[in-house]
Amino acid sequence: MNREEIIALLKPIVITYAPPSAALDHINEESDFITDLKINSANLVDIVLDVEEKFDITIDNQSMEKMLTVKAAIDVISDKLNEK
Amino acid sequence: MIGNDVVDLLQASIESNWKRKGYLAKIFTTEEQHIIQNSKDANATVWLLWSMKEAAYKIHNRKTKLRNFAPSKLICKIDYLRNGIMGSVSSGGEKYYTSSEINLNYIHTIAAQEQTQLAYISTSIYEIPYPSDYRLSKPACISHHGNYLALVYFANQGKC
Repeated sequence: MNREEIIALLKPIVITYAPPSAALDHINEESDFITDLKINSANLVDIVLDVEEKFDITIDNQSMEKMLTVKAAIDVISDKLNEK
Repeated sequence: MIGNDVVDLLQASIESNWKRKGYLAKIFTTEEQHIIQNSKDANATVWLLWSMKEAAYKIHNRKTKLRNFAPSKLICKIDYLRNGIMGSVSSGGEKYYTSSEINLNYIHTIAAQEQTQLAYISTSIYEIPYPSDYRLSKPACISHHGNYLALVYFANQGKC
């Protein structure tokens, strides 16, 4: 799965937990979940759990630590898919 | 440095389903999960521990200049005392001291690097609509969630 395919599956997950905003309309790899998309940190866990289900991967805590931006999330998903 | 975190309990119940499979294990240590399971009010305990972690993280993050999402590395200890809920949060060799207030509407935790500093923290909590000029009072730390805005001031630094 390439980055475009990953982000296409990731976007609808992120949108579920983000309040409507201009940043959300222009979501891209540089978007920061908390500072740009205003996602509540308690909902970051939901994003991680949804990603695990959607991509059928397990995200260990060490990988979760980095998942503060769309780019970092794509990197983690990509790594985990390659490990499969 | 001081930190604080407010959890609007109604908002939390709308936004988050902590009973979801796998949720607690991503945030809490095994010991913390036991505290939740054995508590009389599991919902309040989940958000109490969460607010302790968030309040401590706000100091830890500024101190270490590291930004990450590692809630299970912020390890909580709670002491239920007659005059409130005191506790501590440890992470990477650092320890922060906390004091929390719980009522039916919200949970608010303040955190400091020394236990004695907690007594010098003053708190103002507002409901929506917040005063628009609240930043003018130069709070040392700000937290908002749902219907609540919580500002804390550290008396020792003359910011009161």
